[in-house]
Amino acid sequence: ADMLKCGMSGSQVKVFGKAVQALSRISDELWLDPSEKGLALRSVNSCRSAYGCVLFSSVFFQHYQWSTSVKMNDSDEISNLNCKLGMKSILPIFRCLNSLERNVEKCKIFTRSDKCKVVIQFFCRHGIKRIHNVCFQESQPLQVIFEKKMCTNMLVIQPRVLAEAIVLFTSSQEEVTLAVTPLNVCIKSSNEESMDLTSSVYSEMFVGPEEFDFFQVGVDTEITFCFKELKGILTFSEATRAPISIHFDLPGKPMALSIDDMLLEANFILATLADEPSRASSPQSLCLSQKRKRSNLIHSSSKADKNVTSKAPEYISRQAVPKSFYSNETPSNISALDNCGSPLAKRTNGDISEVPESSVSDTEEMPGSPYLRKFSCMFFGAVSSDQREHFNHPFDSLATASDSEEYGSSSTF
Amino acid sequence: MKFRAKIVDGACLNHFTRVNNMIAKLAKTCTLRISPDKLNFILSDKVANGGVSMWCELEQENFFSEFQMEGVSAQNNEIYLELTSENLSRALKTAQNARSLKIKLTNKHFPCLTVSIELLSLSSSNRIVTHDIPVKVIPRKLWKDLQEPTVPEADVSIYLPVLKTMKSVVEKMKNISNHLIIEANLNGELNLKIETELVCITTHFKDLGNPPLASENTSQDRNSEQMAEVQIDIRKLLQFLAGQQVNPTKATCNIVSNKIVHFDLLHEDASLQYFIPALS
Repeated sequence: ADMLKCGMSGSQVKVFGKAVQALSRISDELWLDPSEKGLALRSVNSCRSAYGCVLFSSVFFQHYQWSTSVKMNDSDEISNLNCKLGMKSILPIFRCLNSLERNVEKCKIFTRSDKCKVVIQFFCRHGIKRIHNVCFQESQPLQVIFEKKMCTNMLVIQPRVLAEAIVLFTSSQEEVTLAVTPLNVCIKSSNEESMDLTSSVYSEMFVGPEEFDFFQVGVDTEITFCFKELKGILTFSEATRAPISIHFDLPGKPMALSIDDMLLEANFILATLADEPSRASSPQSLCLSQKRKRSNLIHSSSKADKNVTSKAPEYISRQAVPKSFYSNETPSNISALDNCGSPLAKRTNGDISEVPESSVSDTEEMPGSPYLRKFSCMFFGAVSSDQREHFNHPFDSLATASDSEEYGSSSTF
Repeated sequence: MKFRAKIVDGACLNHFTRVNNMIAKLAKTCTLRISPDKLNFILSDKVANGGVSMWCELEQENFFSEFQMEGVSAQNNEIYLELTSENLSRALKTAQNARSLKIKLTNKHFPCLTVSIELLSLSSSNRIVTHDIPVKVIPRKLWKDLQEPTVPEADVSIYLPVLKTMKSVVEKMKNISNHLIIEANLNGELNLKIETELVCITTHFKDLGNPPLASENTSQDRNSEQMAEVQIDIRKLLQFLAGQQVNPTKATCNIVSNKIVHFDLLHEDASLQYFIPALS
């Protein structure tokens, strides 16, 4: 069985908890994805328009051990923990971070793939010990394929400056636009055409290039993205106190917000709105169009692996298992301190539970609706055993899953 | 119509922000009247407001280093705008530590009050923040409903106690009843009373002092112990008190028995009048 064992101090728990909180703004589910290099937390939103990954390197922890029973030579085997946790289970554990930082002397996290359970132990002051047992659902993590180094525009900014920009907007603001020229940067509210413009305030802030730690603008650009996700990233960056790098290109292409200090690397990839001449937008059409666009990219993509193009790639079928699939059995070894999270998924001996695209039912089909404002889609691939090499280039390739032949039912668009 | 004004003094900006925070708490939507010497925030006593009305006045030269306006016409040199108060107070909130603040009436597909803020930043460059706040221009024919209310002839005028104390008392009373009686006499005594079937609660404030009455006749005829009272909706009083974050320089309460209670406050350079009618 694959096994993760790691330990943290109280202040490290605070940073770890902030990562969980930031990722909770993206999605209700979190992948715990350990490898030799370190422990990655990954999250993808249901619309596939936002992705977050915080990779804590092994040296971040007081001690870190990831042992896998799979031999390195078997390149077809994926040795992933395949652990997906519900945010509802994990977020309350890392809720009062300031008090955790004060009271927790040591935090240990360990997990075994055959037991489908993550154990989080807090050794607190005064001899108090708190144990959380969180059941996880087997699910192969996704990662975004995005080469941020290829972006023409890159800004590095202190979190404080971004925080000062964010207070301009109300919490009901859905989207914001970042506009750059070689002379300045502007962040402004972005309003949908269908909104009642006569009632909402438009706000903008211009920031000069001197306020950036690094300023490279290859082409004048305006990109529009989701405000809520930006706020989540900012809270995490304030915890790490490291500058934020923003990589972006033309509208429609994803943007990356990254934090890179020696102990951890965080990447938040957000889709941006593509320019279209006429507009008729609604939330449903955004999700829907994304799926359509993705299908086009799949068929025409030259990068896609032969095994993959014929069927819908992994990321479509790696959906949340619908509730009806959850078994009602409870784990056998519940102790008094148990805090069992998401229900146990059906064990499939390490294989991925295959489920057809279920989220289509969540987004209503709008026949004939002109989805003219489109969020760009992002390439997703399964996190494979090759990720060991890819930690230096985490967004380089379309990773192939070894069990792609099991993907019988492709999603319907 | 034209309007542009600028604030460069930090203290003036803070005071202007405080006034706007207060207005935002008192009225969701209000009228901003711009005239050559003054700015007024107005709430007229419509049924929609529950009969409550408000008149807040600022002398523009106490706040703005530059102030230019051109009204609807030469004879009617005023501008009346309807706006959502919170939008303006929120925009001003982003102007802390600003080097300067400009407000202009603009037309960006529809009329807006544009607030431009030059922020101090650690580096040498300035940061410019702009907010376009949508407003509605109120046509001339509706101006008559938005004039300064006549101060009623009060039966009793009394200085108010510390507003924070009044607010905490009223807040607790609100849980018991929606109807509150406010009564006062010329002996410096003010009472807040609520009555239900089960309980009757009165809070007494003493030694408050009474301002000199305008009319000599009433003060001679009236027994100084006699209370003038009005029964009002407690929530309206609470909303008024909640808007007063800072204790005013001067605060007077004028009661017209069984008709209306009139609060007359002075917050440094801004005056506020607030009218709460009696419950029918």
